[in-house]
Amino acid sequence: MIPARLRNWILLWTPVVWLLLELITYPKNRPLHTGLAHVLAGFFAPSVGNYPAWVPLLLAVILGAYGVVKLVRQAEASALPWVLIAAALEAGVWFVAASGLLHGQFSLSGKHTSIAWLFQTILIVLIAGVVYARGAANPERAELTVWNTRQIWRLYRSNWQGMAGLYIMVFFVAMALLAPFLADHALLDPTAQIGAPFAPPTLSYYHWFGTTEQGMSVLAEFIWSARISLFVGLFATVISTVLGASIGIMAGYYHGWFSEVLMRITDAFLVIPWLPLAMVLVAAWGQNYMIIILIIGMTSWPGTARVVRADALRVRELQFIERGRAIGSSNWHIMNKHILPNVFPLIFANTILVVAIAILSETTLSFLGLGDPLNFSWGTMLHYAWDSGAAGLPAWWYLLPPGIAIVFVVLAFTFMGTAFDEVLDPKLRKREESGGSPDTGPDRLLPLGGGVGGATDMADVPSGGIWAGPADDWDPNARN
Amino acid sequence: MDKRRYFARKILNSLLTIAIIASFNFVLFRILPGDPARLLVPKGRFSMDAMAKQRANFHLDRPMWEQFIYYWKDTVQLKLGDSFAQKRPVAQVVGERIWPTVLLVGTGTIIATIIGLITGVMAGWRRNSKFDVITTNTGMIMYSMPTFWVCLIFIMIFSTWLRWFPVGRMYDPGVTYSSWFGQMGALAHHLFLPAFTFAITYMGEYHLIVRSSLTGVMKEDYVLTARAKGLSDSAVLWKHVTPNAMLPTVTLVMMNIGFVLSGAILTEAVFNWPGLGLLSFDSMMQRDYPVMQAVFLLGSIAVIVANLIADIMYYYLDPRVKA
Repeated sequence: MIPARLRNWILLWTPVVWLLLELITYPKNRPLHTGLAHVLAGFFAPSVGNYPAWVPLLLAVILGAYGVVKLVRQAEASALPWVLIAAALEAGVWFVAASGLLHGQFSLSGKHTSIAWLFQTILIVLIAGVVYARGAANPERAELTVWNTRQIWRLYRSNWQGMAGLYIMVFFVAMALLAPFLADHALLDPTAQIGAPFAPPTLSYYHWFGTTEQGMSVLAEFIWSARISLFVGLFATVISTVLGASIGIMAGYYHGWFSEVLMRITDAFLVIPWLPLAMVLVAAWGQNYMIIILIIGMTSWPGTARVVRADALRVRELQFIERGRAIGSSNWHIMNKHILPNVFPLIFANTILVVAIAILSETTLSFLGLGDPLNFSWGTMLHYAWDSGAAGLPAWWYLLPPGIAIVFVVLAFTFMGTAFDEVLDPKLRKREESGGSPDTGPDRLLPLGGGVGGATDMADVPSGGIWAGPADDWDPNARN
Repeated sequence: MDKRRYFARKILNSLLTIAIIASFNFVLFRILPGDPARLLVPKGRFSMDAMAKQRANFHLDRPMWEQFIYYWKDTVQLKLGDSFAQKRPVAQVVGERIWPTVLLVGTGTIIATIIGLITGVMAGWRRNSKFDVITTNTGMIMYSMPTFWVCLIFIMIFSTWLRWFPVGRMYDPGVTYSSWFGQMGALAHHLFLPAFTFAITYMGEYHLIVRSSLTGVMKEDYVLTARAKGLSDSAVLWKHVTPNAMLPTVTLVMMNIGFVLSGAILTEAVFNWPGLGLLSFDSMMQRDYPVMQAVFLLGSIAVIVANLIADIMYYYLDPRVKA
């Protein structure tokens, strides 16, 4: 039967995590005795600034990523569409609820929260069920998956930069999730002065980081900003990665004119200066974080596409692809079941690096005054600081916290991305192991051009390598 | 590959990409919500007559394919319309902003390349040494810092606290300089802080790329051969390793020079430096669409031309291309 560890994980941790998130995100301004109904309503309320409606989305994405890593890479390629569809549906439901599309025509204010709740619960159960079913269908493979994950974790843990990045990330994500407990949302209201304009920091809690040009608490803004900054970065990355990976795989797999056209388009997107383009689009379409997410997602994929294509070109030449074709597998089947799983480690490591870029992009747009005026992000804070002349005062307490937070978050994602790169890529890892001392820096910083083309020297891959590239004519990732 | 064929192919590719971008530019400013003629009439001076005039000016009353042809004709002749904000031809407005940007970005890039190259080579040569650990982690931090934040912090430290450098602009307003040297001195004084900030944000990136490509090259067999021949360390480093490690760096530097506009917008906006970046920021704030369109096109062409130059340099730097 299915290994006990996997079963326990699903049966125990899914509801526990779910419940914890429900409690964590309980809105502070509601009395506790109003009960679970209010917790649920608050949890799924569409407003992003006030209540964390995006938390379930984040959960689905994390769960999806987890499922992908856990299952697709080693165990079962066909779980991927399920996880992706689940995440996309989750995003769609949330998109509709949050954009207020439903309010214009017919009021669902009472109903849509519960509908969203229903959807999300079903989807979470569905994902968990898929994981469970896959594990049950092939216990040996599930066992292997668990073992692989442990190996990955063991390798990852020995990378101090990766761990440092993880700790920083956990800190900021916790701050974003716990925001209702850490700072009263009412303090973000433009009328909620807590002191004189530009008052320097004092020891009282909300005065830790001083006040803004309007006498508002910098600390409260700082804490609530973490939500939008992280959320926009993560969601834009999902769009960018899905676009970039699918175009990259197709361009790498197909020969001839189709591939050529795809690469021309990629090259054209690569040379468009993204900031002027984004400025034009935001100015025209409106200042809304949804639009900012779309724009960042649509302008940041070409780097991913190029890197993925280079790796897909390598995988295409391996023998099991030819075998698959010989026995009559369709192109879709080969791309989905053979190429995607083999390219996946690269996509995963690349994704984490793209998050860093997406967060920087959001910050840049917000700083230029193109951010969502209704929600604070670290970029928006710096925009107001710049606009009010904080640098000339100098109001260092207004400038330093958001900037340092951005540096830390971007650094954390860069560290994690390069750490995963080393853990998942046997070529890089080997050097580290044979080199003795741990490495100090990244070798592939940005998904800019070039990438990791060329054939891996298979003779070098240790035979027991867990993510070892396919050495001969069988595909370790496929199960037909 | 034959030299002429190689260059011809690269130039043809670049022209093709410019054509795609220019067409995209045409589409972009027509899919914006609303009547494009509405965008071409400044908000304050709106009238039906003005709309009709702009429509005729930009051939917006013609069918789409004819508009497309007219668009190409006008763009090639640099007839880009009039700026709303300054009421002058766009080509003139954009033209006079090019030189300050070139000065700022050029100075910044030179500083960043030289420092990044030297520290990168030294760090890559002695990998995992104390120098390497310190500079590489500093480089990662520099790479993670948003440009505009560095600008603000530098203004706070060097202008507000220390009062070493003036804030913004190329010259002090209302001052006439008696001599050419005085003017150049003032320019340098104003230039230092923006250029240095610009350099800081790219330095880390160059350091990391030089270091990582150096590490890759040092594992090659010909480096081992060079050592086996008994060459000194410095000969191996400067004659065999560094020239080969330069290739990815050249690409990156040229790529960044191409993206001059994206890079310059933030620095110029914060320092009030009267270049293309500030122009595009201002035109966005004032919804000055003709200028935005021109700047966008110019920015894309800069990237393509920089890429082309990188390809041509590759031909001379990398003997493998010739083979």
